[in-house]
Amino acid sequence: MIESLTAILIFACVPTFGWSDVVPAARCRGWPAFAGHDGMGWSRQAAKAVVGACAVLLSTMPAAHGQQALAKLVIGYVEIEDDPRYEPIRTTERIILKAPHRPFAGASVGVDDAAALVRVTRTALVLERITVAPGKAAEAIATARKESGVALFLLDLPPDEIRAAAAVLKGTQSLAFNVSSPEDGLRRGMCAAEVVHVTPSHAMRADALLQHLVSRKWRDVLLLEGPEAGDAAVAEALLRSAKKFGVRIVAHQKFKLGNDPRDRELNNPALLTAINRDYDVVIVADEGLEMARHLPFRTTRPRPIAGAIGLEAEAWHWTWDRNGGPQVNGRFQVKSGGQQMSSSDWAAWMAVKMISEAVVRTESTDVARLKQHLVKAGIEAGGGFDGGKGLAVSVRAWDQQVRQPMLLATPLGVAATAPVDGFLHQTNRLDTLGDDAAETPCRLDLRAR
Amino acid sequence: MSAVAAVAGRGAAQPAGSRTGLAYVSAEKSNAVFVVDPLKMQIIKTIKTSRRPRDMHFLADRTRLYVACGDADMIDVIDTAKAEVVSRIKTGKSPELFAIDEARRRIYVANEDDAELGIFDLDKGWRLGAIKTGGEPEGVILADEGRTIYVTSEVANLVHVIDADKGAIVKDIVVGNRPRRFALANGAKELWVTCELSGEVTVIDREKMAVSARIAFLPPGMQRSDVTPVGMAVSPDGKKAYVGLGQAAHVAEVDVATRQVTGYVLVGKRPWGVAVSRDGRRLWVANGLSDDVTVMELPSRRPLTSIPAGRTPWGIVIDD
Repeated sequence: MIESLTAILIFACVPTFGWSDVVPAARCRGWPAFAGHDGMGWSRQAAKAVVGACAVLLSTMPAAHGQQALAKLVIGYVEIEDDPRYEPIRTTERIILKAPHRPFAGASVGVDDAAALVRVTRTALVLERITVAPGKAAEAIATARKESGVALFLLDLPPDEIRAAAAVLKGTQSLAFNVSSPEDGLRRGMCAAEVVHVTPSHAMRADALLQHLVSRKWRDVLLLEGPEAGDAAVAEALLRSAKKFGVRIVAHQKFKLGNDPRDRELNNPALLTAINRDYDVVIVADEGLEMARHLPFRTTRPRPIAGAIGLEAEAWHWTWDRNGGPQVNGRFQVKSGGQQMSSSDWAAWMAVKMISEAVVRTESTDVARLKQHLVKAGIEAGGGFDGGKGLAVSVRAWDQQVRQPMLLATPLGVAATAPVDGFLHQTNRLDTLGDDAAETPCRLDLRAR
Repeated sequence: MSAVAAVAGRGAAQPAGSRTGLAYVSAEKSNAVFVVDPLKMQIIKTIKTSRRPRDMHFLADRTRLYVACGDADMIDVIDTAKAEVVSRIKTGKSPELFAIDEARRRIYVANEDDAELGIFDLDKGWRLGAIKTGGEPEGVILADEGRTIYVTSEVANLVHVIDADKGAIVKDIVVGNRPRRFALANGAKELWVTCELSGEVTVIDREKMAVSARIAFLPPGMQRSDVTPVGMAVSPDGKKAYVGLGQAAHVAEVDVATRQVTGYVLVGKRPWGVAVSRDGRRLWVANGLSDDVTVMELPSRRPLTSIPAGRTPWGIVIDD
């Protein structure tokens, strides 16, 4: 078993030193080291041996054209099996409403984009996919750190796994990028110096949406909140944002799902929206989409729907056609086999891009220096990274959230971007979205670094 | 003689090489190049092109104007006397900027989707080859009588230095973020590169193949993040450079020798394409998001007028 797996991986790990098409040295795909699937017969030892063989092979590859050999910088992509966030959202009739995908292809595009830099940095980025059982992410990260020296991670994990991961990384010389969890608590209460949040928070999404509504003078909102914990988090962010931008929540209804006539005031779209006070927009927080999908054109008053459906605040949209968007979307589609690039894909792509650019600018693979560059570029005027959304993105020094423009997407286009014109800020307009330094308890910038 | 008479009478009556003074403006979403009379300051002719015309270059004798049409994967060739497209060159996907080497009979095209610099035969339109670049190549410029080609990669933040005869990259120079376009300055000793996201022009010493200076911009009342330089032109006497600052809605004037910004002028939304007339008296600015062209008087930097120019005007070349 060990022999055959080694052979496969040696084939997968042969670096390409071609002059005109330099690619990152290796893709050690299918690395089962932390999978914990004993039933499949991949023992941890076997996998480790293979990874070791891969590393040795890379370090002893003969250099091409008399140049020094490539160094490799490993980025661990950590995910869990059966992540409920990637379950297809179905109706009872088993119609699939949405089939969210894991953002691994987004990260892979980032690695491809960095290929041209290999000639300059002599460093190849290597993406290692680490898939583990639920509850085991932190352990896998600790093992990868100790046994393979991996210091950079992309976290495609739910919030509790991110908390556990942050705990094992605390105080270590490492950096992890949250690419798919928007929970505000991770930015506020958790406040981990080893985690950069690339995906926009609930607060940023809410602020982007409400800035747009305010700019349209649609200030009266009917807020509908679903039964899931995620719905409550979104609703809370909207309430906070409403206070910030002077939006009136004329009613806040917690809807129920079902057809029980005794609950019809709370489970029927027409009755839910039949309130005395007028409103300009209905905003619905409903990650299950069961209510949201029945709202358009079923409201009592003729009003647009936003939030979970209709107009959504996103980090990215597959129809974005400015600032190089078509090129990014095009590369992603080729890489992913025709999928539409999502906000999490953008975050994973961006995380890899930030790492690769930090390597170029610091001429180093030392995590302490990379980290210093990432956070410093945010503070230094004019510094920042190209996120394909116009304004330069950068890392907020206080909570390490990536500040970025947001796209307000309709199903087939981007209706507007935020920050919306007219929302001003004393240093950077992007800080009108989400927690500004004074709005969060997380002040990593004030801690001794 | 008015410019209108000049263009009408050019075909047979005038020898090749005469200059009409007309400005040509490409408009991405109009699928057309507009011909503007610089005296009347209005469009006198519309030349239909393939989809999404952007970068334009004349042949030295001005008989032909080449226009890269990004969504059609073509370069259209306009007969300037007839004011119509007379032939097309099929390029790779999404040609953006390009350069013509008339001595070697080649066109070099940045294909932003394929991450390569395509090389085409100027006369036959055949594809001769390609040089792989970093992601989203954009700016292309020739130097040293065509022996050296420079290409920017927006994604990799690199300027590739290419030996044209070897067809190979000889050096990658790391510049600011999202490098876009070029100008040669200081007697072609320096290569200036606009870097959109770091809001600067990076100056490259051509001999050393290394960055020698950075020029930052900040028009009054704007924030750093709004400064997104893209288009650039150097005055014919080589003393001043003009930089379109994109989102900041200003054009900056830079003294080339001292690299000091000597002024900012408010123009339309998202100014990218800029061009200076040969007499150095007029600056033309294409405002992509306000669908017009600002014409400015030099050296006073006084805007004279704004000319509506179709949808999303991109670039300007002047036949003077």
